[in-house]
Amino acid sequence: MKFSTTRDDLFKLLQAASRIAGSPTAGQSFPGIQIEALASNTVAIRARDRELGIQLPLSATVDSPGSCLLPARLLVDIVRTLPATAVTLNLEAGSQTVHLTAGSAAFQIRTLRNEDFPVLPSGQAANSIQLPADAFISTVEIVARAASHDETRPVLTGILVSASANELRMVATDSYRLSVKETTVDAPIEGSFEANIPARALQELARLAQLDGANTLSVAVNENQIVFTAGGAVLSSILIDGQFPNYRQLLPDAFEHELRMPVDELIEVVRRIGVVAQKNAPLRLAFAAAELTVSAQTPDVGEAKETIPCPYSGEPMEVGFNVDYLREGLESVGLGGDVIIKLISPLRPGLLESADGAGFTYLIMPVRLNV
Amino acid sequence: MRTIAHMDLDAFFVSVELLRRPQLRGKAVVVAGSGPRAVVTTASYEARLFGVGSAMPAAQARRLCPDAIFIEPDIATYRKVSGAVMGIVAGAAETVEVLGLDEAYLDLTGLLSPKAEMRRLIGSIAEQTGLSASVGIGPNKLVAKVASDAEKPRGFVVLSQVEACQRFAMQPPRLLPGIGPKTAAALEQMGIATLGDLAATPTELLIGRFGARTGSWLTKRAGFDDESPVSSERIAVSESRETTFASDISDPVELEAALMRLAVALAGALGRQGRRGATIAIKVRLDDFSTFTRSRTISAAINESDRIGAVAVDLLREFGPTRPVRLLGVRVSGFSAAGTDWQQLALLV
Repeated sequence: MKFSTTRDDLFKLLQAASRIAGSPTAGQSFPGIQIEALASNTVAIRARDRELGIQLPLSATVDSPGSCLLPARLLVDIVRTLPATAVTLNLEAGSQTVHLTAGSAAFQIRTLRNEDFPVLPSGQAANSIQLPADAFISTVEIVARAASHDETRPVLTGILVSASANELRMVATDSYRLSVKETTVDAPIEGSFEANIPARALQELARLAQLDGANTLSVAVNENQIVFTAGGAVLSSILIDGQFPNYRQLLPDAFEHELRMPVDELIEVVRRIGVVAQKNAPLRLAFAAAELTVSAQTPDVGEAKETIPCPYSGEPMEVGFNVDYLREGLESVGLGGDVIIKLISPLRPGLLESADGAGFTYLIMPVRLNV
Repeated sequence: MRTIAHMDLDAFFVSVELLRRPQLRGKAVVVAGSGPRAVVTTASYEARLFGVGSAMPAAQARRLCPDAIFIEPDIATYRKVSGAVMGIVAGAAETVEVLGLDEAYLDLTGLLSPKAEMRRLIGSIAEQTGLSASVGIGPNKLVAKVASDAEKPRGFVVLSQVEACQRFAMQPPRLLPGIGPKTAAALEQMGIATLGDLAATPTELLIGRFGARTGSWLTKRAGFDDESPVSSERIAVSESRETTFASDISDPVELEAALMRLAVALAGALGRQGRRGATIAIKVRLDDFSTFTRSRTISAAINESDRIGAVAVDLLREFGPTRPVRLLGVRVSGFSAAGTDWQQLALLV
């Protein structure tokens, strides 16, 4: 195996691959990056862990095809420090050492057992579904933050993705908030699927799509695995087993208060006052006639408050929210527009919606105050 | 004035089994495990005639009712059916508090005809799942609960607070949830054998025997006085995380690493809820399925992952598993509200 490429292209892809090869969160990982030079002047960079696998295409000048497995961390550390020049990797037949050269710098790296690297699924399935990449990725980015990081509740670490006809819908919840985004796509989707996909996989996919700039995502789903192809990149992921919560049941049928406010102003206040809501202390939203007072207080740190106009009427009411959950919900509504805030009472869930009918719904559980 | 309903599925586990095996209808059926220490989880009303009851050792149930058909519990299915029922219940009232798999409180305050609403609910549950339920309706959770129990199965009892006091005056205090065998025995020593007696006993006497808190609580209970709200939030008395390993682990280093990961997950949840606990426990299941718990209460309530982890690791070292470990768990309880005056609520997912 022998090929040449540029340091920058190689580093970019190795960095992406090492996020998966080196991921300590997924338990036992495969700490190697597989590099295979193909006759077609492309090199496939592959990495995987227990849940995810990726294959990235690197353009290169291939002198002789072949493949090897190299330690992820070491390889990334070496390439990071290289000057922005041409890089050549060379593995002679029968040898277990890769020669890496860049300018006058020369490295010899021992390979890992290539047979240990599992074969990655390919995205070339007959029944694959084509989705618009932009719409898919922007939907992921809106809901992904609401997915749980608690690996003891695996079902909640995924995003429930449904695609059919003209609609793409994603749902995520960590039990403290629930984020639902329905995106209408211009061209009808041929075929349909619903799957609970690890949020991690979709976040990696979003990064890959940026790297690649592909317009279309090709998706192949089977019972326990999903494979995305974007341009020349392939990302495969296991699907999460178990019943995703019936989120419709969690949405209250009716609310007592419905308030329309400019998102930008509210986010600014939440960010500003939120600075002193530390150690998980809640942000307090006190609603009174035509105004909203946002305040926070952390013992031994300090306190802050600010009042803004708000179209509220009725009995004054104070509701507490986790500052990050509230801020992230507002950010997902999107800057520049209005947010509709729906409330029932201080102990019932609140709802944020985009006022422009963009199909975004964010349910947020309050923090009980004065317990 | 509030209107609260309590809905209780009749002989839930057995009823689910009968749906699958209609040929067993009308027979004495007992759902119980098969191990030597198994207990009865539910008995059909036919089996109850022989004196078989919940939580009784399975062996004793076999002696009382040798002809009964014994069925192993299938919790996964019960959970699924329960989910379907509670989905229907959730649509019947704005505030619903689900207890376990087969019970729920509904706050019907403000509804014009709570009775009609509950009849409709029972009808929908029967129609969609084939299960029957008993209902109690009253001004608070205590009256509703005792009323739903009063005429099982398929009971439908509506009582005011005064009616409840009259109707159950001759019943033993143990009828009320929260009054266990120890309290009942202590009451009997004081010559209090019925709820009527209890209601007529001056609170000071009860305080003298049980302390201020329990004493006045008993008086309120006997008068069917209960202000606790129907709350859909989860207020857990403990928070735990556990994991079953894909393959059993013997290496102490690996076990301690797993324990630390659980501590991190647990601390994250406690932090978000603003809760701190002083009792740390571990649960260890060995490869032969024997299960052990070890706990320690420390002087200050904590919710930091490293502190929880340190106590958990210490407990594991003291326990020193003698066989490969199949499951590990960490639990924090003994919550104190000190230091915070707030609590993150969670969706029931």
